[in-house]
Amino acid sequence: MKKQFFKIPIIFFTFILSIFLYLLIIDRNPSEIPSNLLNKNVPKFVTKSLFNSKKFFSEEEFGNETTIVNFFATWCKPCRDEHVYIKGFAKEKKVRVIGINYKDDPEKAIQWLKEFGNPYSNVAIDKNGKIAIDWGVYGIPETFLISSNAIIQYRHVGPITKKIYKKINLIIEKTD
Amino acid sequence: MIASLGNFALWLSLAFAIFQYFCAQKKSNLNLISIAVKGLLIFSLLSFFLLIFLHIVSDFSVLNVYQNSHTTKPLLYKISGVWGNHEGSMLLWILVLTIFNYFIFKLYNSKNFTFVSKTLEFQAFVTLGFIIFTIITSNPFERIFPAYENGLGFNPILQDPALAIHPPLLYVGYVGLSAAFSISVAALALGNSENVPWYNYMKPFVVTAWTFLSIGIALGALWAYYELGWGGWWFWDPVENASLMPWLLATALLHSLIVVEKRKSLQTWVLLLAILSFLLSVVGTFLVRSGILTSVHTFALDPSRGIYILAFTAILGGYSLFLFSGKSKFYSSNKHLAFFSKEGSILVNNIIMVIVCSTVFLGTIYPLLIEAFTNNKISVGEPYYNSTVIPIIAPAILVMGIGPLLSWEKANKLETLKKIFPNILITSLITAIFFLIYRKFSFIGILGIFLSFWIISNNLLFIYKKKINQSIAMITAHLGIGFLILGITGSSIWQEEKIVRMRINSDITINKYNIFFKDVDEVVGPNYVALQGDFEIYDNKKNIITNLQPQNRFYPITNNFTSEASIHTNLFRDLYIVLGEGNLEKGWVVRIYYNPLVIWIWIGAFTIFLGGALSVNSNLKKLKKI
Repeated sequence: MKKQFFKIPIIFFTFILSIFLYLLIIDRNPSEIPSNLLNKNVPKFVTKSLFNSKKFFSEEEFGNETTIVNFFATWCKPCRDEHVYIKGFAKEKKVRVIGINYKDDPEKAIQWLKEFGNPYSNVAIDKNGKIAIDWGVYGIPETFLISSNAIIQYRHVGPITKKIYKKINLIIEKTD
Repeated sequence: MIASLGNFALWLSLAFAIFQYFCAQKKSNLNLISIAVKGLLIFSLLSFFLLIFLHIVSDFSVLNVYQNSHTTKPLLYKISGVWGNHEGSMLLWILVLTIFNYFIFKLYNSKNFTFVSKTLEFQAFVTLGFIIFTIITSNPFERIFPAYENGLGFNPILQDPALAIHPPLLYVGYVGLSAAFSISVAALALGNSENVPWYNYMKPFVVTAWTFLSIGIALGALWAYYELGWGGWWFWDPVENASLMPWLLATALLHSLIVVEKRKSLQTWVLLLAILSFLLSVVGTFLVRSGILTSVHTFALDPSRGIYILAFTAILGGYSLFLFSGKSKFYSSNKHLAFFSKEGSILVNNIIMVIVCSTVFLGTIYPLLIEAFTNNKISVGEPYYNSTVIPIIAPAILVMGIGPLLSWEKANKLETLKKIFPNILITSLITAIFFLIYRKFSFIGILGIFLSFWIISNNLLFIYKKKINQSIAMITAHLGIGFLILGITGSSIWQEEKIVRMRINSDITINKYNIFFKDVDEVVGPNYVALQGDFEIYDNKKNIITNLQPQNRFYPITNNFTSEASIHTNLFRDLYIVLGEGNLEKGWVVRIYYNPLVIWIWIGAFTIFLGGALSVNSNLKKLKKI
C-alpha cells in the first residue's frame, strides 16, 4: 500500500505532461462548439439591469429583433481584447447587443464601460453566475447570436477575433 | 567578431558541462572535476558578458540586438534588454545554473566525495540540457546579413528599473531550486548509503532560492502596480502564478527542512518537495515560453521550443520521480509526529502550502485541461483564486502565529494558551480600532487585519522577550509576512476607484481628497514623447498635499503607448492617478485610485527578504561547522 503511494507523483506528472504534449501538437484553432441550446429558445430569466434600477426581463429583451448576447466581466482580460468587436456589432446597427455582466462588481462594470465604450443597449447583472449556468456558459467571454424569434442561432466560446467577427456577420446576414 | 566569440564561449560551456557530467559520473579525481566546474562558470560568464557588450555597442548584425534594442535606448535598458527577451534570458538562466553549480562544488569535504560528485553529475545534466536548448532553438548570437542600421527597439513597458532587476532575482530563485533538485536526486540515487547530512547541504540553497523568489515576485508586483496602470498589483496571470507556485512549495520545503534537521523525520517528504519545486519552475518556463498559455509576459512564440522544453521536463521529472517511487523507502521513518508540537505546526503549514499550490496550479492549467478535453477556450479569473486561496491560507497564518512558540516533540497546551492570551486580546483590540477608522465592514477584511496583527504582535513579543532560541531571521521573515497581509488586506478591501472624464480646471473628490486637474503639458523623454497631466491634491482642510503628474507616453520606435501612473504614498494610503485618452475639448479619461496600506506590501516584502538574507547567512555558518 505504502509503496503504491510513492508512485502517485510520477503518475500525476505523466498525466499533466501528456496533456501539454497533446495541446502542443494539435492544431489549436479556437473553434466554436455546438451548444445544447442551439436552435432552441433562449432561457428565460429576470434580474437587475446594470444601467437603471429597473428589472431586466429576458422575455422583453429577446424576440423582437436579431440580438447578440455577450457574457463579460471587468476582471476578464480576453473580454477587454474582444471589446472592440462587440462595439463593432453595435456600430453597424444590424443587431441589438445585450451584455450579461458575469460575477462582477456592478460599479466597476459601469466604470469599465465608461472607459472602453458601451456597445450594449442593456446589461443584465449575473452576480452569482446563475444565468450563465442556465445558458451553459463554460467560461467567459462567451457570445451568443439570437434570432428575432428568440432562438439561439450561434454560440462562440472565448474572445471574438477578426475571423469570428466576420463569420458572425455572415450568419447575421443569412438570418435576415 | 564579438558575436562569434560569444557563440564560441557558449559552445565551450556546453563542452565543459558534458565534461563535468562524465567526470562526476566516473568519480574522477577532484582536479578534473574542478577544471570542469570552473571552466563551465568562466565560459558561461564570458558568453553572457559578451552578449551584454553587443547590446551596449548596439551591434545590429546580431539578430537578438536588432530585435530588442535601439541606439536611443538608455544604457540601463540596453543592459537589462539582454534578459528582457527570450534568448538572452536563457543565457542568464545558464549563468545562474553554473554559479550554483560552483557552490555545490564548494560543498566537497573529506567525507562526502561520492555524494557531491553525484549531485554535480545531475546539476551538469540540468545545465547541459538548458545549454543545448539555447544553442538549438534560441541562440542569442545568431547573425543577420546585411546588418541593419538601427534596431526595432524594446517593449517600452519593460523599460523600467524594477523590471530590470526582476528577472535576475527570479532566476536566482528558480535556479537555486535546481541545486535542491540535484541534491535530492543524488540522495535518492545513492539510497542513503553515504550517510551524509544532505539536508544541511540543501538548506542554504533552498533559503537562498526562497529569499530571491520572494523579492523577485514582489518587484514584479510593484512593477505591475505602477506601470500597468490598473491600480492593482496582482492579476493571477499565468506568469505570475508560475513564479508563485515554486515559492509556495519552497516555503513548505524550507520549513520541513527544519524538521529534518532537528528530528530527522519527514525526509521522504522533503525529497519529494525539492523535486517538485524545481519541476514546477521548469513547467512554469514551459508554460510561458511555449506560447501554450497567453499572457502579458509571453515571449516570441516558437513551437519547437515548447517541444524541447517539454521533452526535457519529461526526462528530468520522469527520472527523478521514478527514482522517488523506488528509492524513497530508504528515507522513510516511522517516527510519530505529535499534532500539538512545533513539527506538528510545520506539517500543517506544509500541507496547506501544498494545497494552495495545487489550487493555483489547477486554476492555471484548468483552461488547458478544458481545451484538451472539450476544445473550449476559457479564462479563469480573480474570483476563482480569491474564493479558493483565501480560506485555505487563513488557517496557515493562524498556525504561523503559534508555531514558533511551541516546543519540539510535545507542547503543553495550557502553557501555550497562557503565552498567547495577551496577543489574542491585543490583536482583537487593534482589529476593532481598524474598523472604527475605515468604517467598512467586511468579513475578509476582519480576518485579514486580525491575522496580520496576530503575526505582528506575536513576533514583536518574541523580540521584546528576547527569546534567543527563536532565530532573528525567522522573526524578521514572519514579521514581513504580517506586514504583507496588512497591505494586501487594506488595498483589496478598502480600495476606492474613480474612472471619470475630466476637463482642465475641473475637480473631483475621492475619499477625503479633492483632486484638481490643472493642466496638460507635452514633455520629451530620451526615447519617448509624453502628455503629462498636472493634478493638485488637497485634503479636506483644503491644504495642498502634493502634485501628481501622470504621463501618457508614446514611443515612436516601437509604436507603443504606455501610461505612467503617478502615485503619492504614505504609511496609510496611496493616491494613484492615471491619465487616459482624451483631448482639450472633451477632456481626458482619468483613473484615480485610493489604495489604503499598499506600502505595507513592499515593506513586508523587503522585511521578508531581509529575514531570508539573515537566514542564508546563519545557514552558511552552520554548514561550515559540519
